Order: sequence, then C-alpha cells, then structure tokens
Amino acid sequence: MKLLNKTNRIYLAFSLVIYLLTAIAFYQIIRLVIYDEVENRLRVEKRDFQAYVRAHNTWSNIPYFVENKIEITPVNSNSTRQEEFSDTLILNRYDNELSPFRQLTFYQSIQGVVHRVEIRKSLLQTYRLIEVMTLAMMLFLGLLLVGTFWFQNKLSGRLWHPFYDTLSRIKGFDLSSGTSLALEKPEITEFRELNDVLQKMADKMQQDYRSLKEFTENASHEMQTPLALINAKVEQLIQNEQLTEIQTHWVESIYHASRRISRLNQGLLLLAKIENKQFNDSQSIDLSSLLSGKLTDMEEVLTFKKLSVNIQIIASFDVVLPQTLADILVTNLVNNAIKHNQTAGQIELVSTADQLYLSNTGGVLKSSPERLFERFKKESASPDSVGLGLSIIRQIGDSYGLTISYEETNGIHRFCLERVVR
Amino acid sequence: MKVLVVEDEQGLAESITEYMVKDGYICETAATFREAEEKIHLYTYDCVIVDLTLPDGNGFQIIEALKKLIATTGVIIISARNALEDKLKGLEIGSDDYLTKPFHLSELNARVKSLMRRRQFGGHTEIRFQEIAVVPHTRKVFVTGQLTTLSRKEYDLLLYFLSNVDVALTKASIAEHLWGDNIDSADSFDMVYSHIKNLRRKLLEKGSADYVQSIYGIGYKFSQF
Repeated sequence: MKLLNKTNRIYLAFSLVIYLLTAIAFYQIIRLVIYDEVENRLRVEKRDFQAYVRAHNTWSNIPYFVENKIEITPVNSNSTRQEEFSDTLILNRYDNELSPFRQLTFYQSIQGVVHRVEIRKSLLQTYRLIEVMTLAMMLFLGLLLVGTFWFQNKLSGRLWHPFYDTLSRIKGFDLSSGTSLALEKPEITEFRELNDVLQKMADKMQQDYRSLKEFTENASHEMQTPLALINAKVEQLIQNEQLTEIQTHWVESIYHASRRISRLNQGLLLLAKIENKQFNDSQSIDLSSLLSGKLTDMEEVLTFKKLSVNIQIIASFDVVLPQTLADILVTNLVNNAIKHNQTAGQIELVSTADQLYLSNTGGVLKSSPERLFERFKKESASPDSVGLGLSIIRQIGDSYGLTISYEETNGIHRFCLERVVR
Repeated sequence: MKVLVVEDEQGLAESITEYMVKDGYICETAATFREAEEKIHLYTYDCVIVDLTLPDGNGFQIIEALKKLIATTGVIIISARNALEDKLKGLEIGSDDYLTKPFHLSELNARVKSLMRRRQFGGHTEIRFQEIAVVPHTRKVFVTGQLTTLSRKEYDLLLYFLSNVDVALTKASIAEHLWGDNIDSADSFDMVYSHIKNLRRKLLEKGSADYVQSIYGIGYKFSQF
C-alpha cells in the first residue's frame, strides 16, 4: 500500500470517528439544554399551580393554564410522592397525531385528598430545533471533513512529491550503465538530506563498481600479457632444432604450466565478473536447444570417445541469461559430461518446461557431489582441469535464478537445472 | 607484405616480429599510441596487429584513424580483454579479427595469412606447396593435380600447416585451432592425432610425399625434410 493511501485511510477513519462523536455530543448537549429549559418552565408552572391551590384550596380548569396540559387524578395516599420528569406521547386533538411532550409528575393534596398532578409541555418545537441544528451541524461538519480530506490529500501529494521522484529515479538507476544518479534538491530538509545520502551512496557504489571492473580488466591484462610472452617465447624455443630430448621435456612442461595458469586466470576473472554482475544483456534463451546444438558441435569428440547421445526434448527450457554466460554454461556442462565419461559411454539430455537434465555415465564418485561445486575441487587429479568449471556453472546459476544440482547413482552422473521459484 | 605490430610488451612484439619475418613479411613495431599513430600516417601497411591497451592510449583509436586513412588495411586485435563488448566494438569499427591473449604465434600467423588472402585476392588465389594446391574460396584440395576429398577438420588442419610451414606446432595450438578455446585437454590431443593420421593417409594415397613430421613430446611440423 502506498504511503499516501495509508495515511489518507488512517486520517479518514480517525476523522469519521471524531465526526460521529462530535455529532453525538452536539446532539446530546442541545437536547440537554432544551430539556433543562422545558423542565425549568414546568417547575415554574408547578409553583404557580401550588400557589393557586394554596390560595383557593381547590382546582378547576380555569383558562389560566392556557395550554390546558394539566391532568389531575386523585390517588391512594400510600403511593409514591416523588416528583419526576418523563417523556410521553399525547394524541393531538386537532390533527390526531401523537406528539412528544415533557411531563412533570408530582403529588399535591387538594382538600385533604392526595392528587397526582401531571403538567405537560409540548416538545414539538424543540424537537424541530434539535433536528434542524443537528442537520445543519452534520452538513457543515461533513463539508469540513471532505474539505480537509481533499486539502490534506493535495497537500501531502505535493509534500511527498520529491520522495516519489527520488524513488522513481532510484528504481531506474542502473549501476553498470555509467550514468550517475541525478537527484533533485528539494526544499524539505529531510528529503534533501535523504537525497544527499542516497546520492553519496550511489556515487560511491558506482565508483567501487567501476574500480572493481577496471581492476578485473587490468588484472586480466597484466596477467595475460606476461603469459602471452611466455607462450610466445616457448613457441620460439620449440622451433630450435638443437633441443635435446630432456630440454624438450622441460619446455613442454613450461608450456603446459603457462597454459594452465592462463586458463585458471580466465576462470577466476570470469567468476569475479559474474559475481560483480558485469554481464547485463540478459535475454530469454532456450537452453535445451543450445545444449543439443553444443552436443552436435562436439560430434567429432563424441565419435572419438565412442559416446552415444540421447536427446529428449519434451518442451523447451527457457531461462533469462546473458548470451555469453549461456554459452559458457552450456560449454562447461557438455565438456564436463564428455571429460568425465568413459569409453563407449552415454550422454542423455532430457528437457521439460520446468527442468533440464544432463546425465552421463562415468566412474563412481569418491567425494560428496556438493563439494564438487566448490572452487578448485576436482574428482581426479587430472592436469587438464583447473577445477573451476562447476564453480562457474554454480555461480551463473546463483546469479541468474537457476538451481543447479548434481547427483550420482551407480556411475550415472546427473545435473539438474531448475528455475528458482520466487 | 608489410605488417605493423602495435604492442607495448617488448618481448611479445619481438616474438611476433621474428615469427613473421621468418615467413617473409616485413615487420615493424610500435610500442606506444603516438608511435603507432605516426607510423600509420607515414607508411602504408597491409596488416596491422594492434593491442587494445597501450600506455598512452587505446588501440581502438588507432583502428579508427587507420580506417580513415586506408580502409583496405587488414586489422587484427590482440588483447587480454576478452569481454564480448570489446570484441563487438572492435569488429564494428573495422577490425577483421580478434585474438585473446595468450595466443599461439602459429594461430596469429594463420589468421594473418587468411586475412591477407581474403583482402588481396578475395580468396581466389591458390596456396601451393610442392604437389599440394589448395583453393581457399572453393575449399578444394588438389594433390598432384587430383582432387582430394578432406573432411572439414582435415581441410582446416592442412591450411593451418600450410600457413606455418617449417614451424613446430604444438598439439595444444592445433587442438585450439580446430576446436576453439575450450578444448585444451588430453582427449583433444588424441583427436588431433587421429585427424593428422587421416590427413596424412589421404595425402599419401594421392601421391604426395610425407611432409608431416611428428616432434617428440611437442607436436608436429609440416616441412619438406
């Protein structure tokens, strides 16, 4: 939920409660005032009535009490003598409707007989007053409510505008693009500070990213150049026909060692680059067809090792990956399946929409399958492997939402690729 | 045939030059951006081999300047950077090939020759070595005048040998030339062996002399004794 919606909602709920409470309180206060007024007048009339009875010791419906809303009934002396106010409805003589009245009941002895006296006053006009006042008040309160709500909405929309602006700019910020994050300088101190901090962080991140990228590039250059030199000199040395057999052997070792360092260096740099997310041209790639294509490319190698290939593509397995990394992933998987296979072995590729399996025959595994994904962990002490192939596969998987698992049962080695469900 | 090598690592530049000179090229070197720029303005080269990272500038700028002067000069980039964007940029501004360091001198040589053939004769010239003739643009091989059918890899192998006559070629460089960078393994050396065996057999059948010598522990050499 958006911040503004949330505050607006809270504000609305709070205002409604206040509004209702105010309305009820207002109504009650008006009612109280009016009742007080009516009751006072009833008391005055009671005094008048008592004065009259004291003076004349009798009672008649003389026109002194114009409203003629007085009713006297003789009662037994043992009934309560409490004076009380109550609401009552009385049939109007003229229009035959029930009208609300306030009534004061008290007991008065007239000529020795206790009478119950009920004096009434119509509440009709005061009721109208309450109604009109309540309605008017509700209307104005309502208008005020809607007005402040609208104003608040506009105001906070305006106040928070820099925040939303910053948010959208950060969302659109791409670390690797090279363009720096440009944030405005809003008037509001908090937002300005926020922007300043974000700006500093983004600049620092970008600088770090750039220097890291430069570092990997420079490291690559600085290491590959001497290696290229060693290789070139060794190649020249090989051309020398006066080399003895033992010298040839040394030269060959140097040559192999330098190739290995070079491959190792490239592998480590590749891992660093994947970790730094320096590949950013992700696109949807059909891995199953890429894999089967790679297997076709390697046909000569397969024929040479007498490996049979079984490809079952039920549905294509699509992933979002940079093209370069997809190629590396597929090459490493296929190379692995070929390298650790046995003569006259098998390679099987099964692909469904959700999973991709690549299995190959081979020796029984001695170490734990999970550990093989670690850097420099290898099953055999073979000199042509630097032990980075599977780490690269894993790193690509981790960085681009793929789970890559590996298991071995009875000499069948199986890689399973699945998309991570987010 | 004039080649300019723009490379700041002196030893490497020397090795490349030496290798090329043996093959009959006229080779010059430039170690800095300024030097290279001066040279391309003063002289005309058939091919420029350029490193991307130079102490005082960028190899891309040299290529751009060169393409403005003479668009027909062949350009091969040699770089330790193997980022895809560098390769794409290089090809976009007019380079013909991209080799990642470290490379085999024999591979560089083969690429230069192939580039020169494409540039100068549109590939229509034939490559001759004794009784062997190769017509690159139709990919046909004639031995003592008879058409010899070779597989794709055997043809590539023969061409690689012919680009590096009298040079000891390592098994690794042959394997990489035939299968690309990712094939440097013990298995690939066995495959190299089997391809060489087949090529040799096919050439001998058509009456060629045996030019392929194996060099113990290292690889092979294509030469006339």
